[in-house]
Amino acid sequence: MNAKQLIEDNNRKRELLTTENEEYYGDLLLYIRLKLTLSEQQSEEVLMELLDHLLDAQEAGKTAREIFGDDPKGFADAIIEHLPKEEKRKVIPFIGGIIADIIGWILVIRGGLLFILSQFTEVEVKSTVHPISTIGIALVLASFVLFTIFYIFKIIDRSLFTEKPNAKKDSIKAGLVGALGMAVVLLVVKFLPEIGPAFVFPWWVSLIVGGILLFSMYLRKKRKEE
Amino acid sequence: MSNRSQLLKGILDGCVLAVIEIEPVYGYELSQKLLNIGLADVSEGTIYPILLRLQKNGLIRGEMRPSDSGPNRKYYFLTEAGLEALETIKEEWKQISKPVNELLIGRREG
Repeated sequence: MNAKQLIEDNNRKRELLTTENEEYYGDLLLYIRLKLTLSEQQSEEVLMELLDHLLDAQEAGKTAREIFGDDPKGFADAIIEHLPKEEKRKVIPFIGGIIADIIGWILVIRGGLLFILSQFTEVEVKSTVHPISTIGIALVLASFVLFTIFYIFKIIDRSLFTEKPNAKKDSIKAGLVGALGMAVVLLVVKFLPEIGPAFVFPWWVSLIVGGILLFSMYLRKKRKEE
Repeated sequence: MSNRSQLLKGILDGCVLAVIEIEPVYGYELSQKLLNIGLADVSEGTIYPILLRLQKNGLIRGEMRPSDSGPNRKYYFLTEAGLEALETIKEEWKQISKPVNELLIGRREG
């Protein structure tokens, strides 16, 4: 069984848990899944084992706390300590795929926007691209995305295994970081000087290149599922 | 942590290997067998970090199989290396348990 099937199975079986057990196990699950550097397959396998065990024990009238102990975080850490890291040959295509997806969407949206705008105004000038400036913006954007993801994971991590997680406060914090980060990105885009060589990159080339990129990513995903 | 579970910690690897040597088991079965033997001080969840570590060290391997009750479970098998490790642990346990028995229990009775 691969990780995806295990996750689907897990979602289905989790509904059989009592509220109390679901709370305990749910935190355990999130805590382990948030550790992105661990092997997904191995993580999901052990999560499934724990869930199966909990369901069997529930049948016998025991609670998660009785089985896994009063210190869920300590228990989860003991599990994590022995889980192998994800192999590099799986990590690189994964991250590469995300980046290709983002670039594809940016190109398609850019192409679409330029086309629509060109119907109303004279935007011929705007279809030039300065590679050096563009790379600068991409770096700022990438660090913003990484930082925000990291920060949100931190917030979730801290909210786990607590008696009363403060969801409202956490949402505001995450929203603020997202908004401020985006503001920084927009300011950089606005004020970064256009330096270095430039070339014309018309809307239809943008659309076609982006479309091909997205389509090939889609094919790759389809093939992997079969 | 009670004295007993402290003591048990060091030898639990050996107990887990010994149960798996008799026949392949999945997690829940393993915990019930340990309980039935009388090792009730181990919280059931404790076996999972141990199983992961034994797997990582190549002493056991896991395999998804249909269980007696139907659904797929991850069964654990002893590897060659696991068998060897178990023999070593048995030997070491004999060497420790005999003098300790004599010292602790022998004195009380004598």
